[in-house]
Amino acid sequence: MTAVLEARAVRVSRGRAAVLHGVTLSLAAGEALALVGPNAAGKSTLLRTLAGLLRPTRGVVLLEKRPLQAWARGDMARAVALVTSEDEGPGTLAVEDRVALGRYPHRGPLRPLLEGDRAAVRRALQQTGIEPLARRRLGTLSAGERQLATLARGLAQEPRVLLLDEPAAHLDIGHQLRLFRVLDDVRTCGMAVLAVVHDLQRAAAWADRIVLLAGGRIVAEGAPDAVLASEQCARAFDVAVHGHPVPGLAHPLYSFEEPGE
Amino acid sequence: MTDRARRRLVLWILAAALPVAMAAAVALGSVPLPFGPVVASLAAAAGLPSWGAPLDAPGVAILWSVRLPRVLLAALVGGGLAVVGTTLQSVFRNPMADSGLLGVGAGAALGAVLAVRMGWAAHVFLALPLAAFVGAMAAIVIVYLLAHAGGRPSLQGLLLTGIAVSALASAGTSVLLVATEEFRVKTVLFWLAGGLEGRSWAHVKLAAVFILAGVALLGLLSRPLDVLSLGADEAASLGLPVHATRLTIFALAALVAGAATSVAGSVPFVGLMAPHALRPHVGPLARHLIPASFLGGAILVVLADLGARTLSDRLDLPLGSLTAFVGAPYFLFALRASEGRS
Repeated sequence: MTAVLEARAVRVSRGRAAVLHGVTLSLAAGEALALVGPNAAGKSTLLRTLAGLLRPTRGVVLLEKRPLQAWARGDMARAVALVTSEDEGPGTLAVEDRVALGRYPHRGPLRPLLEGDRAAVRRALQQTGIEPLARRRLGTLSAGERQLATLARGLAQEPRVLLLDEPAAHLDIGHQLRLFRVLDDVRTCGMAVLAVVHDLQRAAAWADRIVLLAGGRIVAEGAPDAVLASEQCARAFDVAVHGHPVPGLAHPLYSFEEPGE
Repeated sequence: MTDRARRRLVLWILAAALPVAMAAAVALGSVPLPFGPVVASLAAAAGLPSWGAPLDAPGVAILWSVRLPRVLLAALVGGGLAVVGTTLQSVFRNPMADSGLLGVGAGAALGAVLAVRMGWAAHVFLALPLAAFVGAMAAIVIVYLLAHAGGRPSLQGLLLTGIAVSALASAGTSVLLVATEEFRVKTVLFWLAGGLEGRSWAHVKLAAVFILAGVALLGLLSRPLDVLSLGADEAASLGLPVHATRLTIFALAALVAGAATSVAGSVPFVGLMAPHALRPHVGPLARHLIPASFLGGAILVVLADLGARTLSDRLDLPLGSLTAFVGAPYFLFALRASEGRS
């Protein structure tokens, strides 16, 4: 598979301390990749670097074989969408207007909303299941509904690469399942999806591949169950991981314990 | 009622209320002008078929050389300041941001006073508004840099930075005031209080050019403003050049605030009240909120100036004090409401 987005020996420093130490990673079209790791592993930093918001101090990020710096801002925003769980939009903004701002890379400051834009907004609202909320104001939504509105903005952008930072952070189990089903839908249409996921069970169930980041380095990478069962995973989170195969389920159920007993 | 119907209704009400407020402000004053003849005179001047008797000669003189420029200026200043408040609130992502609270008014006043003190204003055409513009721009850039030094500023951090920069600019203004010859002090005091006494058509033209151009350009930046209100990261990931856009908006906001201050002195709280009161009704999108705020701010200052002229028989009250008398309690009330929510 050819890589759409690729990090090569990426190092990112904040002040004098390095947050990422030479991370190499590739993401293919139609791939679902989960980025996991303990707190302060550098997951968000890596995601922001891949989205072009942070510049690597060393190494390079390639989007479709071209370094990010060589991309024009607008072309880049049409190719890569970033969805974070920090939603700071004004509370009086209507959901459909929020989602329509995802068309900005296609419209620029002056072009009106054309039929194609409206269709993209409608599709994004449908896919995320928040069509009934379209006219509501953000301030009246639950945290989970706001999160889905942010995802819908990313989908309305119609990118080729979708980057998500803990997209399920505020969601109840029903909304979580819907969210990951949506991510599955879009990647089967060829979008590359990379998500930072906290819930390891969910990551194993959803992703084609898991990348485990710890201390600013990739310490394990591969098939979900192999990564979760690995010694590196236990060490990174400082836990003991037990997989319990269950007949009829594609992945084992995982339980975690504090180490040393 | 849907949000859209409500927005339309509010915009129509504002669009209808502004001419009514302006007509009332033209007709009322120490010498009341009869309403019918005022309309007849205006219609005749606009080339429309006039009906009824026009004003007598002194009435015409008062209408054209006193009332009309003053009322038009009030509308321009109010509309301009309200749009500045609206745009700054989007950039700072804070509905409590206002040019006055962010030191822009104080910076513009300092620039203007400096121009008067140094005698530039008397010799160089446009020196006064230019100095006010530079002062406004300097204040806003300083507040922006200081407040953003540690990441996203909190409401308190932003307001305290604005207060500190305002105090600094006011201190500079005071020094200039003490060092100013007595015959110029009255001119300088004007900047501190704000007012529209004795404004002429030259001031109207100056304000109209800068304020309308600035507001129109800010209006063209409506969508970038909406994108900015989502936060710097999301704006950047949507392909917006965040810093360049912010600086452009600051320059335009300072242009409008500087022009308004150069003709009216400091008129505080208009930029906070108008958008704050209208946002719940027209929504936060700049393409709706900018025109609504312009109309709302214009109405507010036209009425405030009418009050400044007519509340006391003996003297013109300072316009800036009047908007502060209304605006400061409004601000405190809104602040309490917003703290209660978060």
